[in-house]
Amino acid sequence: MDASLSSRSARLPIPWVTTVARLVLGGVLIAAGALKIGNPSDSVLAVKAYQLLPESVAIGVGYALPIVEIVVGVLLVVGLLTRVAAVIAALLMLAFVFGIGWAWANGLRIDCGCFGGGGQLGAGQEPAYLIDILRDFGLALLGVWTVRFPPGRFALDGALGLGGDSADDDLEDL
Amino acid sequence: MGKGERATATPGAREKIKQQQAAARAQERRRRVITYTAAGVLAVAALGAGIWYGASKSQPEQAAAGLAPVTVQPDGTVVMAKSGVEKPVLDVYEDFQCPACKEAERVSGQTIKNLAAEGKAKVVYHPITIFSQEPTRSNSLRAGNAARCIADGKQWMAFHNLLFQNQPSETAEGFTNSQLVEWGKEAGVTAPDFEQCVNSGKHVQAQQSYSEKIMDEQKLTHTPTLKLNGTEVDNAVVFSPSELRDAVTKAAK
Repeated sequence: MDASLSSRSARLPIPWVTTVARLVLGGVLIAAGALKIGNPSDSVLAVKAYQLLPESVAIGVGYALPIVEIVVGVLLVVGLLTRVAAVIAALLMLAFVFGIGWAWANGLRIDCGCFGGGGQLGAGQEPAYLIDILRDFGLALLGVWTVRFPPGRFALDGALGLGGDSADDDLEDL
Repeated sequence: MGKGERATATPGAREKIKQQQAAARAQERRRRVITYTAAGVLAVAALGAGIWYGASKSQPEQAAAGLAPVTVQPDGTVVMAKSGVEKPVLDVYEDFQCPACKEAERVSGQTIKNLAAEGKAKVVYHPITIFSQEPTRSNSLRAGNAARCIADGKQWMAFHNLLFQNQPSETAEGFTNSQLVEWGKEAGVTAPDFEQCVNSGKHVQAQQSYSEKIMDEQKLTHTPTLKLNGTEVDNAVVFSPSELRDAVTKAAK
């Protein structure tokens, strides 16, 4: 009795942590996408500035990225298809970490283009690679947490009976 | 507790309950798959619609029949307009080394050419050097110099397009004189002194002083800058062929 009670109270915050992780990660993605979507060409430029992808691929990624960010962000915030969205979000963040690290290692002087902007630094501006990397890595960790403990409280997945690790968990919840 | 109760049921009833539970579970699973699929389809559709919208907004125009007459001015600017077309004036301030200028050229360059060919605008190109750091500054100056070595408008336009197509990285030396000479030939330049003009950097000084002068006069903070009758065109419009066309057409009225 005692053991099950204590394990239960220890487990209680987990869904809430997932909710917070979802809201933070989803919110950042929506903001990042929304700031880019008004000017897709800037987004294309920002991707090109990394000099990481061949031109045609960079153009496609530049156009698609803001929309992917917004859709995945919305899914996370409302908690729909939580696990899939969190996997994509975490992979995106890891890709950004890689890209920024790559730019840093190669001595490129660029703006990360994370929240809009064409990837070019203005005169006198210095890149802030470390901060960008730490932020994106932290966000990736939130994504990993959400993948491990979906869907959290206030999630459409839960309301629709889609959430949880397996069918058994769902039945327990019901 | 539950188990104890169930144990009292007859074997037949127990089977029935089991079957009912299995059926309910199967139905629940089916419902879940359908909901999940529907949500997935919705998300993918939103993605597709968004990407399609974004791509169509910056879809470059097709090349029209031909170019409006192009004339190289003594100050190194280049006018592209049908004869008699004086208004509206679309000034294009661009740097051959600037990636955003390359992108603007890729997305909206054809629209600008088409508008001039349709007699809807007088286009003035101002190739300038906006970079202050190496290697971009020297790259841009060499390219600007080479463009100034071309006197024929048609050849200049072909060279202009080639420069953007072959724009070097911002972190490496590029636009070397030998490349520039080669692209000049590709653009149809036949003038015998072209090679010498490129190699000697004959107009580097002019490129520098014109850039400084025009950046000062026009208060340019970035390239590309487009000005329509002297008023700066918003960046979002510059990079959207259809919006740019609308803005210019409206100004023509």
